[in-house]
Amino acid sequence: MNAMGFAWRSLIRQPARASLGVLGVAAVGALLFDMLLLSQGLVVSMRDLFERTGFDLRVTATDSLPGQGPLIPNAVAAARAIAKLPTVRSAIALRFANATIVDGGPRGYYTSFQGVEGTGAHPWSILRGRDIGTGAEIVINENTATRLALAPGSRVVLRASCTDQKQALPPMPFTVAGVAQFPFDTPRGATLATSLEMLADACGGNESDEADVIMVASQDSAGPAAAVADVATLLPDLRVLSNAEAVNRFERGGFTYFRQISTVLTTVTLSFAVLLITVLLTVSINQRLGEIAALRALGFSRWRVVADVLCESVLIVGGGGLLSLPIGGLLAAGLDNILKRIPGIPADVHFFVFQPSALRVHLLLLAATAVIAALYPIRIVARLPIAATLRDEVVG
Amino acid sequence: MSTSNGDIVEATHISRVFPMPAGPVTAVADVTLRIAPGDHLAIRGPSGCGKSTLLHILGCVETPTAGTLLFNGNDVTTLSDRQRSLLRLRRIGFVFQRFFLLPMLTAAENIELPQSEADVSKAERRKRTSELLDYVGLGARADHRPSELSGGEMQRVAIARALANRPGLLLADEPTGELDRATGEQIAALLDRVNADGTALVIVTHDPALAERCTRVLTMRDGRIESETTSA
Repeated sequence: MNAMGFAWRSLIRQPARASLGVLGVAAVGALLFDMLLLSQGLVVSMRDLFERTGFDLRVTATDSLPGQGPLIPNAVAAARAIAKLPTVRSAIALRFANATIVDGGPRGYYTSFQGVEGTGAHPWSILRGRDIGTGAEIVINENTATRLALAPGSRVVLRASCTDQKQALPPMPFTVAGVAQFPFDTPRGATLATSLEMLADACGGNESDEADVIMVASQDSAGPAAAVADVATLLPDLRVLSNAEAVNRFERGGFTYFRQISTVLTTVTLSFAVLLITVLLTVSINQRLGEIAALRALGFSRWRVVADVLCESVLIVGGGGLLSLPIGGLLAAGLDNILKRIPGIPADVHFFVFQPSALRVHLLLLAATAVIAALYPIRIVARLPIAATLRDEVVG
Repeated sequence: MSTSNGDIVEATHISRVFPMPAGPVTAVADVTLRIAPGDHLAIRGPSGCGKSTLLHILGCVETPTAGTLLFNGNDVTTLSDRQRSLLRLRRIGFVFQRFFLLPMLTAAENIELPQSEADVSKAERRKRTSELLDYVGLGARADHRPSELSGGEMQRVAIARALANRPGLLLADEPTGELDRATGEQIAALLDRVNADGTALVIVTHDPALAERCTRVLTMRDGRIESETTSA
């Protein structure tokens, strides 16, 4: 009977204690797994979201986030110039505003409003109907379509709001060309989009060539880094970031809190797991000192009795670790649903995202836990005085 | 260092001193003893006289603090812990007062365990275990766990376990101490048989009846051998 088989038999000898250990590790392991999913989840999710737009560079006037800083002047011309660069496949200028659909109730129906112009595909996916063409056409998101019972071909009148200052812009009629999915939509948010020219008209006809961001798709053969360099050379007054750089900026900024929280909670949960298993194994070993001394007297090596204890720890942690994965998965799904209720979070952003690296780290940390938790009980059996223990057991 | 006189154990002027807070305690003092193949030896004496410590030294569980101890001619005090473990595994059998069978294993598995540790093949283990169970009269109890056996049966399994790797020396520390008189008699008879079949046997006992069955009886007092009697 090898050490693992022996450890298994030792564990099932005390099924209640073994179950307690396995369940404890499962609970701790589930939390650990969730912390690992959380530590990178938002970053991974945001990166996916950026990549799903089909653009891998974003050009802004300053370091502010698009929509929160000054507009890019002559944006259409800039987008066209960028699109002609050999490292660039396409570029579109995008402007963000707000609008109220005036026939959407007593106060109207408040939406975000985007205008786009350029050579590339638009940063949304058409679900029904078609994309915007020339003229006063808009695409709307599913929330807007459902809430106002709109469909392709419907006509709406909306009043745009394009600056922070109070404006009294005239309402403007649009035709719904299609229903689209916007990547950064919040679960309950309403979004409309039209051409940059029509948005400028709705904004009173001023600033018709300004945009919040120019989104750029690099040539596959060139890659985003080369495109970033070309755009920066072409337009040195603007700020250009690849998706990876934008994600890194997020990671260094607000997302750091999630990593710090997950690091603290991971340390706490692992410490708890180590203590739990150490206590269980130590109690178990102390109840079996006579047997262990007898085995040593019968010729079992010090290494063999150490291996038995280590294998017991591995079995407890291994069993609990396996259970922790489905529990952690369910827990992550539930917590993700709760966190996604925070206002302003895009529907497609997730806080807990599975990545193979998280599973690898989870397994590594659990393996380390098994070893560290076994150190004290291993010390007991490795230093067990055989003769004195046998004597004590008889006297006791 | 090696001798050629054929003794299994040759202890010369061995002592064992335990450091204690109140001062060192000498458990075994200047004992010289030889155990030859087939010997049938009892060690008697009052509690605390050093019987068990001497047994543990003979069984290479303890090392003497003075003197020399040869096992099959090899100096035990120079062996590493690993080497002493191997020596115990292959050459020495232990029987304990409290049996120390592993409760989660069956009788057969308890007997197989030392063989498994000694890398005996599975087929050979099975065969040897079956032989030993028959030898100790428990062929029908192979699959019983210790909790399903009586005290006498547990000690029989413990004796079979001690014989599993065919040791030349069997050491028994109060083997009948936990048993009633009738059961103790059966165990004593079994140990007689083990000795008669060629295994040297050293028994530490308080039981005069058990000691009288041995051909050599050592009486200890204060860590020293007070007397030795030999019978035919």
